[in-house]
Amino acid sequence: MVAVAVGLWPAAGTAENGSKFTLNPVMTRGPAAAAVTIVEFSDYQ
Amino acid sequence: MLGQIAAEFPGKVRVVYKDFPLAFHEGALPAAEAARCAGEHGRFWEYHDLLFVAQPAFSKSDLVTYAGRLGLPREGFAACIESGQHREAVKADVAEGRAAGVRGTPTFFINGRRLVGAQPIDAFREAVQAALRVGGDKRP
Repeated sequence: MVAVAVGLWPAAGTAENGSKFTLNPVMTRGPAAAAVTIVEFSDYQ
Repeated sequence: MLGQIAAEFPGKVRVVYKDFPLAFHEGALPAAEAARCAGEHGRFWEYHDLLFVAQPAFSKSDLVTYAGRLGLPREGFAACIESGQHREAVKADVAEGRAAGVRGTPTFFINGRRLVGAQPIDAFREAVQAALRVGGDKRP
């Protein structure tokens, strides 16, 4: 079971430490107005 | 898995993919660049999904073959890979990830909340539901 803390959630596009994420539209799917943004850092291997 | 989450919360979830090729995954960087080459043709996500099925076969020949499967022009695709034109963009994603505290893959930020490692789908359901409970995205 994974605990997920709930509190004051930073705005989408921002990490917990305040770092901002740029969003490449080509690498984004789902509506821009979505209430929840999931940013995934991954590699293919 | 994230596609399933998006389907379970229609219209409420946006997924953003960021490259974070690990140095000891030899094929990860060229694969990331190739996916961006596919993106030039509007096929990023199809190619992305194909790569996860095909891993770890990521030779240049493999990458071009996968493009061909999607109907993309092989010669132009090979030239895109060889040019390295997307390398700096991939490195920029890595820099963003490091600045945000990413140390391994996969790492997720769900409205900013970090979730590290391969997770059961229930972890994503819970995180999305929690984000929705607190009002979701506060951006204007």
